[in-house]
Amino acid sequence: MDTKRTGKRNTAPTEHSGAPRAVDHGTTAAFFLASFLLWEVIVRIFHVPRYIIAPPSAVMTQMAARFTDIYKHTLATSLETFVGFGIAVLVGVPLAMATAFSRFLRQTFYPLAVTLEMVPKIAFAPIFVIWLGFGFGSKMVVVLLVCFFPILINGVFGFTSLPTELQYLSRSTGAGAIRAFVKIRLPYALPQLFVGFKGAAVNATIGATIAEWIGGNAGLGYFISMSTGLFRMDIAIAAIIVLTALGLLLYGIVLWVETKMIPWHVSQRARINATGSA
Amino acid sequence: MCDSITLYGVKKVYDSRNGPVHAIGPADLSIRKGEFVSFLGPSGCGKSTLVLMVAGLLPPTEGEIRIDGVVVNEPRTDVGIVFQTPVLVDWRSVLGNVLLQVELRGLDPAQYRAHAVELLESVGLGEFLKQRPYELSGGMQQRTAFCRALLHDPPIVLMDEPLGALDAMTRTRLRDDLEKLWLGSPKSVLFVTHDISEAVQLSDRVVVITPRPGRVEREITVDLPHPRDFDVRQSPEFLGYVKDISDIFMQYGVI
Repeated sequence: MDTKRTGKRNTAPTEHSGAPRAVDHGTTAAFFLASFLLWEVIVRIFHVPRYIIAPPSAVMTQMAARFTDIYKHTLATSLETFVGFGIAVLVGVPLAMATAFSRFLRQTFYPLAVTLEMVPKIAFAPIFVIWLGFGFGSKMVVVLLVCFFPILINGVFGFTSLPTELQYLSRSTGAGAIRAFVKIRLPYALPQLFVGFKGAAVNATIGATIAEWIGGNAGLGYFISMSTGLFRMDIAIAAIIVLTALGLLLYGIVLWVETKMIPWHVSQRARINATGSA
Repeated sequence: MCDSITLYGVKKVYDSRNGPVHAIGPADLSIRKGEFVSFLGPSGCGKSTLVLMVAGLLPPTEGEIRIDGVVVNEPRTDVGIVFQTPVLVDWRSVLGNVLLQVELRGLDPAQYRAHAVELLESVGLGEFLKQRPYELSGGMQQRTAFCRALLHDPPIVLMDEPLGALDAMTRTRLRDDLEKLWLGSPKSVLFVTHDISEAVQLSDRVVVITPRPGRVEREITVDLPHPRDFDVRQSPEFLGYVKDISDIFMQYGVI
């Protein structure tokens, strides 16, 4: 009886699990295309001035015409975003681990971190400009800050959420702290860690862009601010589209790593079922 | 006969926001080597607490527990534990979950692989070694948990309502599986349950525990031949034990 039930689950998982139906990418693409067309048509029919909003065609033209500039600024923003995010992961995860296991840190560092989390991080940006100058450093540190907190908070949550029975099981084997961590606590925390990484990935480009507005001489945020200053909506929107693509790229990388690292997690199983590849 | 587990005036009082909660005890009891003993009582009578204290995972408030004469004051590594839920990890296969028992002990899983496969085959999971826990039914998951508890061949097995979360049909099957496993390699078993016929079928001795604060109300030695198959379970003797125990709980107004 058991065998039969399981066999059925494996062959037709979507019918039973209530997972979303397979996504039709054609529909999605058609919707996006139609939205851009509508935008183009509205701007043309109502003769909306170019300094209010530019139609997609003009944006595309500028994307090509200003390719060198856009490329240069994209590189600058990418570097700030990826380095800031990377350092946030490298610093955030070990600190979350330490906080989860140290009563002292939970009473000192953690409340401080949570308090700082409540401060709008962007408020620090001008200070970083004074400390680190107008270049890469001050922007990267803002990205680092906006990425760090989601990673820390989700990390602490993940590392401290091990079910009691698993702790009992682990203790009844006499496993030391390190072995229990590697075999149970770390894999158990991974899904929650990825919640933090995804939150950080969303924050990263926001941090970079605003930091560039506040005081910079390079990057897409700086470029947008310059373009809008000249009422060049076509260039500004072109830069915004590239910035969006950059954010999607970082988020996509995190999602990809997630599917590789925790294919067993319930969120990933639903995704696999939904795309029909199970 | 040599005693395996002995409880001397063991009592547990939990601190809670509403003041101390007297969970169980004081309880005196001894379990012989190779004996299958059930703790039978209504929910909330502190049975699970007793199991955790024997495992050394929870300190008693008063009294002491000895295993082979040694006082239990830290987690015992010579026990196998089965919980009410399977407590399997999703990132490992069925076989991997069973081997986790020895990997956590720093032992080489390759050396235990054959034994793990043998155990899984004996409970009908031979074809599911590579499956993930979430691909199995609840009964199969719990069987995997049994195998994990037995892999290191512990002299003592502690089971905290291992069949409690299963449907009635699966429970009946798993009871027989459990009896078979125990007959194949007799260990001292401490089995917590609130199911009277389950306790009578599996146990050498049933320890009846009162509602909270749990106290040992009576110890009943079940003198019936193993395996206690369907015919034995329909016999007047078997039903007599069930009735006697039911009467006790009736008196307490539990059933």
